Amino acid sequence: MDWLKEQFAKEEWSPYAAGALLGVVGVLAVALSDSLLGASGAFENLAGLIGQAVAPNLFDNMYFNFVMPPGITWGVVLLIGVFFGGMWGAKSSHTWKIRMVSSEQWTQIAGKKWWKRWLVAFVGAIILEYGAGIAGGCTSGLAISGGMLLAPAAYLFIAGMFASGIVTAWFIYGRRF
Amino acid sequence: MTNYILALILGVFFGLSLQKAGLTKYNKIVNVFRLTDFAVLKFMMSALIVSMAGLYSLKWMGVIAFPNIPATYVAGNLIGGLIFGFGMAISGY
Repeated sequence: MDWLKEQFAKEEWSPYAAGALLGVVGVLAVALSDSLLGASGAFENLAGLIGQAVAPNLFDNMYFNFVMPPGITWGVVLLIGVFFGGMWGAKSSHTWKIRMVSSEQWTQIAGKKWWKRWLVAFVGAIILEYGAGIAGGCTSGLAISGGMLLAPAAYLFIAGMFASGIVTAWFIYGRRF
Repeated sequence: MTNYILALILGVFFGLSLQKAGLTKYNKIVNVFRLTDFAVLKFMMSALIVSMAGLYSLKWMGVIAFPNIPATYVAGNLIGGLIFGFGMAISGY
């Protein structure tokens, strides 16, 4: 038991162990809730909710009416859980801390200015959410949840994601690649 | 209501697994694209193998029926993936 506690409190688990945990969660989601895990969809549900309140005409389209209806969906509640789960993980290893820039690797390529990190994270997230909207899911909602059902869409998505990710990283890191 | 409570609990473990694999960190996400740290890939493949084996076994035993499988539309999935990968590599999330 002590051994287990010790393993649990480690800052970083083996990715295989953490992945296996996610695999079990994915199976339970289907078995208990008949739902698929995902993250990007929930943001769209929330964005739709805000959008329809602020600019109803702009959000009165096919996408928000039929593909991604706004509302507090199963996915939104899941996302709230994800937030607390991540916090629990960091607390358990005593690495929970609020930082403006969290990565030294980032500082090396882009400097210490916090707004740069935030701006790039914000813009990058808009782009990736847009891509997820076109593809029909993100890394969790399509690649993993679709992949576990052997959906061809998931593997096409993974191929696209790695192809452009590798090229982009190559451009950003150049010689240091 | 039960369904929402389940979502919350499942979400907690979903977040825990991501955090413990280090996927909340900029380096981890970007370095898989630099081909210097394969944690993201190991995590994804491990999750896929476990869930695939679990789901297909349960389906075979007749315990569950599969939910709607994400639709395949080759151009959409691929182009979406390409845009997504770009966003992921610059933001590191």
